[in-house]
Amino acid sequence: MTESAIVSAAITEWIAAGEPTPLLMDRLAEAAIRALREANLRPGELDAVICNTSSIPFDSPAYITSSAQHFAHRLAERIGIREAQCMNVSAACASASIAFAVADSMIKTGQLKKVLIAGIDNSPRGFYLPAQSYLDPDPYAAAIKVIGATNPAYWAMWARRRAYEMGKDVEDLKEVMALVKEIHSQYGALNPYARYKKIFTVDEVLKSPIVCDPLHLYMICATSSGGGAVVVADMETAKKLTDKPVKVAASAVGGPLYGEPMPRLRVFSTYKKLKPFTEWRKPIEKAYKIAGITAEDIDIIECHDTSCFHTINWIDQIMGWEREETDKLIRKRQIRHDGELPVNLSGGTASFGEAVYSQAYIMLHELFRQLRGEAQERQAKKSLKIGVCTAYGAYGAYGCIILEKGW
Amino acid sequence: MKKEVPIIEGLFKWPSDKPQLIGSRCPKCGSIQFPKSTVCNNPDCDHSAAVEEYALSPEGTLYSYTIHAYSLREPFQYHKGPYVVGAVELPEGLIVVGRINVSDEKALQMGMKLRVKIDKLYEDDENIYLSYFFEPVIEK
Repeated sequence: MTESAIVSAAITEWIAAGEPTPLLMDRLAEAAIRALREANLRPGELDAVICNTSSIPFDSPAYITSSAQHFAHRLAERIGIREAQCMNVSAACASASIAFAVADSMIKTGQLKKVLIAGIDNSPRGFYLPAQSYLDPDPYAAAIKVIGATNPAYWAMWARRRAYEMGKDVEDLKEVMALVKEIHSQYGALNPYARYKKIFTVDEVLKSPIVCDPLHLYMICATSSGGGAVVVADMETAKKLTDKPVKVAASAVGGPLYGEPMPRLRVFSTYKKLKPFTEWRKPIEKAYKIAGITAEDIDIIECHDTSCFHTINWIDQIMGWEREETDKLIRKRQIRHDGELPVNLSGGTASFGEAVYSQAYIMLHELFRQLRGEAQERQAKKSLKIGVCTAYGAYGAYGCIILEKGW
Repeated sequence: MKKEVPIIEGLFKWPSDKPQLIGSRCPKCGSIQFPKSTVCNNPDCDHSAAVEEYALSPEGTLYSYTIHAYSLREPFQYHKGPYVVGAVELPEGLIVVGRINVSDEKALQMGMKLRVKIDKLYEDDENIYLSYFFEPVIEK
């Protein structure tokens, strides 16, 4: 099996949701060209262009007007290709991670050599609700219609359950979540592409209105518009294009797991057979196996944090340790750039907001820069060799990518 | 006179003296789903028998919950904040998400006993829309 590596990465500036849609393709094309220039590649040399499509029937500007289903083809037309295969991959917020996994697999099996993976999205504002036309036949619409359970409602139930199983008061978890926000915001302030530059304090977070108890407003990410592009190649090609190829040690994809007790977003029910969050843990275990590593080898984490609870739960699952260890790590502020295990030095979704299917670009871009020592003021102090990126999407869509210094 | 109609057909027994949610059960492997499905969802099932309608136990325990502070926008504006959303564990091992009716949110306790109830979700000029809720079981 051929090895693969990231050669370059670019992200757009992330801005408020609701921007007129035609500008999305301009911004994506600009990021794609930036990634190609960093890789010293011309579009005509690409073997494939893979984009992520927002296929969820959100009442979103992107969904209604952008012909999202052929994004790769539109981008390819815009930047100009010769024989590149164009395809779209869709898996809610895990779309970019899974598009990346598809590219990685096709390179590793020798089908492709140089691939551009790109995506941009424009989220709807506020709670994600289904478009009117999808009301009755769609089970998501039905759950909203009958139960009124928005995404934060599910996240809040997960959070409360974790506190309960640990025998802790939920107020204790709130403090940890607020601290996550405080720390992430400090790095958002240092990231030129992040939408939010304001630094929040624990006190401000805890004083913000409650949205879904125990989640306060500032523990939940905003909805944004943004995207990015990465160039991945087989290792031999990658080494010709850059001195510092970032090896893709593993990419794994997960789905809804039978027996997972935690109700995943938008469902009416789950069937309790397994330990809570096994569904989150599975693709991580798979990725560790492919990469031949264990949790102890992880130097840095970039995780999809649509709420501060996500960061906490991702650390639980990535490290596979007692949950208490995660809380201690955060309380001791060891997830900072100068800590034992830096987490979301990009500033995370907490600082960027969520642009549904583009989330992984923030994380991949950050890990790429961090492993190459190019993250400037956000650069981790410790020596980095291996980083992990994890994403979660509605209905149980998961992607886990492990990157490693390849030089 | 307004007409009483279920918010969605087939989710719960109605009209009925005994309120119950309607799921499905695979006679082959015993796997249970809610809402009822047309196929079994057990990955190890051989699918040699068709799933059957199955009335879920009316009582369960509170697995987790949240107080949803905000109201939803149209067309779901009848979910008026604050309201309680909970996950209820039924004896079958199924965890069902639903609205919880409590007079005082402070009374919510993880693990508390709840029972399903069919009640009004909202009404418009023509109809009263009924849905399923869970409410605390008052121990006598």
